[in-house]
Amino acid sequence: MKKKSHPLLGIHSLLLMIFIYVPILLIVVYSFNNTRLSGDWKGFTFDWYISLFKDRHVMEALANSLTVAVISTIVATLLGTLAALSLRNLGKRFKGGMNGLMYLPVIIPDIIMGLSLLVLFNQMHIPLGKATVIIAHITFSMSYVYVVVTARLAGMGRQLEEAASDLGASRWQTFRHVTLPQISPGIISGALIAFTMSLDDFMVSFFVAGPSSTTLPIYIYGQVKRGISPEINALCTLLILVSVTLILLAQFFLNRGKGQKKHKMLPI
Amino acid sequence: MKRKDIAGLVLAGAIAALSLTSLGGCSSKETLHIYSWADNFDEDVLKDFENKYNVDITYDNYANNEDLLAKIKAGGGGYDLIQPSDYMVATMIKNQLLEPLDMNNIPNFANIQESLKNPAYDPGNKYSIVYMSGVTGIAYNKKYVKDKIDSWEDLWNPAYKGKVLLLDDNREVIGMALKKQGHSNSSTNEGEIKSAVDDLKKLLPSVLAFDTDTIKQKMIQEEGWIGTVWSGDAAFIVKDNPDIEYVVPKEGSTIFSDNYAIPKGAKNKELAEKFINYMLDPQVSAKNYETVGYSDPNAKAMPYHSEAYRNNHMINLTEDEMKRTEWLGDVGSTLQVYDRYWTELKSGR
Repeated sequence: MKKKSHPLLGIHSLLLMIFIYVPILLIVVYSFNNTRLSGDWKGFTFDWYISLFKDRHVMEALANSLTVAVISTIVATLLGTLAALSLRNLGKRFKGGMNGLMYLPVIIPDIIMGLSLLVLFNQMHIPLGKATVIIAHITFSMSYVYVVVTARLAGMGRQLEEAASDLGASRWQTFRHVTLPQISPGIISGALIAFTMSLDDFMVSFFVAGPSSTTLPIYIYGQVKRGISPEINALCTLLILVSVTLILLAQFFLNRGKGQKKHKMLPI
Repeated sequence: MKRKDIAGLVLAGAIAALSLTSLGGCSSKETLHIYSWADNFDEDVLKDFENKYNVDITYDNYANNEDLLAKIKAGGGGYDLIQPSDYMVATMIKNQLLEPLDMNNIPNFANIQESLKNPAYDPGNKYSIVYMSGVTGIAYNKKYVKDKIDSWEDLWNPAYKGKVLLLDDNREVIGMALKKQGHSNSSTNEGEIKSAVDDLKKLLPSVLAFDTDTIKQKMIQEEGWIGTVWSGDAAFIVKDNPDIEYVVPKEGSTIFSDNYAIPKGAKNKELAEKFINYMLDPQVSAKNYETVGYSDPNAKAMPYHSEAYRNNHMINLTEDEMKRTEWLGDVGSTLQVYDRYWTELKSGR
């Protein structure tokens, strides 16, 4: 028996969808528009995508973004997972506090995160550049990994691990053959989220970027001042595509093997 | 499955190692770190410099002067060459954020047009050399605007109601109205400013938009018929819409520039000076500004420019027009008055 909702609610959701997605859709549509002056529709073209890949600065920014995202994701995934594993055994009182602290970077406004890191780097006389951007990205990505892996750990319980030790498995064997396989979907999905967050981040990167560390979002911001070109629309479209794909993948891994508990949403 | 996991980890590790080596692989070559506006140079000219002196150039962007100031002020240096606009040069000098230029390394400075040397914001060119300059004038579409345009007064013509475009910039717009009434564009006299703003309020019903970033598109697509436009932007607009004309009004106008400057503590100061000197070579200069499309400040470069460039009035303003221009000066605490009036104007009160 299906419950019918009020028709006004349907209209409301429709308007909401339009409000959220029309601006994004416009960028996508204009990225295929065969005129430099985005306004009227002048026919379909892939030209902007082609000229995008020929642009030395775009390619440099892309290389920077990927370098930062790959390194920060690997380190953040390792650190975040280890933190989740070690905090798992804390007593209830500490656990709440620690969870809050680990979650804080997700909630703190980006601008404060960026500014505080910039101040820190200056105090320590660390020259700004790719390294500082990577460190900053690790700092905020770690929290996402921690949150996802912790949720996974909480969901799996301890029975299997206890059974493994009863059967004579060493701590390492238990971890390697029982714990790790169970939480690996969480780790993978955490890593994918971390990668996406790193790729999309503007504010924090903007503060801590130095020579030759212009990432794609910083590049796009600089370009907009020159007038929004169709190449920028194309670049944004590609970024949207990659981000959505990664997040869908993360969602997929998070749900996989969950059995009865399905459709758990990502904590973002 | 587990095998795959391990393989994945190994692969990830390999990628990390690779990226790390590419990080460290920034070679022992001398590197010039430029921090500037997006697409501010001709690509080939930069490449030629890299080859000629066997150096590398890194190029990072900012989107406005305030971003630049924040970064440099925070000590976020590491850059060797920056390109602040005129008023920002003054601010940075005041805050001691710039290195004095060693003109012995920049003999080509002599090539700069006399009218662009020794600007009000940096007397004696101690810290900066002009890279790009332009003048705020009136651009109009002669398809719709049939009268002779030669005065700021013409923007107030009721025939253009709803078709007037103004820059989205406090000092530019109020400065324009001050000029119209015969004052300095950097007046610190509150009475003059108030009278200029009252005048602007009468213009408001005619204004289509305050717009800096997409004003070019609005003129090209003929949404706007007439407006305050930078000379270099006008040259860009006319390429896509040949009906556009440009004039520097008889009351005079605001001149602005982006400059070469070296931030305090730059590691490769001499290389930056070498670069500036190279850019001021007449042939290099001609090649660069043909692409960039703005006015070439290099007096000796004209013979190397194309005919189209030389004959373009929006790029090469006459001496008379240049004489009518004024830099935006530092107005000190009066800036608050400007800000207040600007908010009033934009909120339509």
